[in-house]
Order: sequence, then C-alpha cells, then structure tokens
Amino acid sequence: MTFDAIGIAGTSLTVHRKWLDAIADNLANANTAAPTSGPAFRARYIEAQAGPGTSGVYVAGVREGDAAGRLVFEPDNPLADAEGYVRYPDIDLSEQMGSLIMAQRGYQANAQVVDRARTMYESALQIGRSS
Amino acid sequence: MLDSVTSAALTSALDGLSRRQRAIADNIANVNTPGYHAQRVQFEEALAASVQDGDGRATATTSLSAEPTRTNGNNVNLDTETMSNIDTVLRFQFATQALNAQFTGLRSALRTS
Repeated sequence: MTFDAIGIAGTSLTVHRKWLDAIADNLANANTAAPTSGPAFRARYIEAQAGPGTSGVYVAGVREGDAAGRLVFEPDNPLADAEGYVRYPDIDLSEQMGSLIMAQRGYQANAQVVDRARTMYESALQIGRSS
Repeated sequence: MLDSVTSAALTSALDGLSRRQRAIADNIANVNTPGYHAQRVQFEEALAASVQDGDGRATATTSLSAEPTRTNGNNVNLDTETMSNIDTVLRFQFATQALNAQFTGLRSALRTS
C-alpha cells in the first residue's frame, strides 16, 4: 500500500521476464527435430491479464503451440522415420523476434518506473524534516 | 495555520499525485496486456475550485482513457505515460518542498515567543 507504484511495476517486471524466458526457450528450440512418432517441441505463449483495480498485471496462463509442427523430409537425420520424415516445431521466427523486442522494451519501461517511483517516495520521506 | 487552506491544498495535491503515480505505474505495467485501457487521474480542477471556496480539500477521480486502441484492444501510450510519470514525480517533489517550507515557517513561529 505504502510504496504501491514500485510493487505494480514489479508485477510487470515478472510478467515480462516470464515472457522473455518463453521466447528464449522458443527460439532455442526452433530447430529441434523430433521423431514423427512423438509430438514436436511446443512453443509457449504467455497470456498476460490486468489485475483488479490498480494492482498491476499477472500471467493468466500459458498457451502452447501446435504439437503437430511441420513435417520435413530429412532422410539423413537419425530421428527420421521409415519414409525419411522428421517433425520440426512450427515456430514463426520473425514473430518471436518481434515479441522479443516488445518484451525487452516493456521490461525496460517498467524498470524505469521503479526508479522514478523511488525518487518520488524519497521526496515524500523528506516531509517535515528540518533542513 | 496547521489546517490552513495552503496545507490542506498541498496535502490534497500530494494525495492526487500519488494516486496518479499509481495509475501510471499500472498503465505501464499493462503496456503489453491485451484489452487493457489506460487510467487517468484528475484532481486539479476540483482542487482549484476547492481552494477558491476557501477549503483546500479535494478528492481525485479516476477515469478510463477513451483513446483509440491498438489491434490487441490496448490503448496505453508509452510516450505519454513516461512524460506524465516524470511530470508527476517533479510536481510531487515541488509539493513536498512547498509543504516543508510551510512547516519551516510554522516551526519558526513556534520558536519566536
């Protein structure tokens, strides 16, 4: 209650960090092949939701990408099935890179809010102090 | 002098500004949240009217921004919010200093008897 703005920005730092983690994981696994008998790597998408009143933001859930992925003909791949196919995740690299920039900028914006809120509360602590 | 119009007005201003700061923090926290509408805190007009009436107390009101939304239903403008954030911090510091000056005057009045 007392130092609200810092806590509110803090909730958003958490959400953006989780988003960045998910994107990093998605990008790292963009070329992870899997045998056609199993599911492809499933990309994770963070779903953010505003808290009630002015209570910041939280992660409402995680949506997962398509387990079917896309089939690629790679007969030399040790994971290939009898017809020579492997399963790759269906991850849109440009979409992930776009989200990466949004998550990064969102994180930075909230880190600055923490800094400015601190300045404000420091000034509030000076009230009534004789100079 | 303790509950003068000036003191009451400065306290109301600090209250309104800290509410605005909280709203801005919430707006920036939700800059990427789909469907979120920015909040606006107003108190200046109410405070000016209250000072005019010789009271100095005013409560802040919160409303939702009617600006057009982006494709994800969000209408937070990071540039506006950042400017408003800096503006609010400076105004808050200004009000704090004014209130301190008020208290300093009061303190010296108590000493000179």
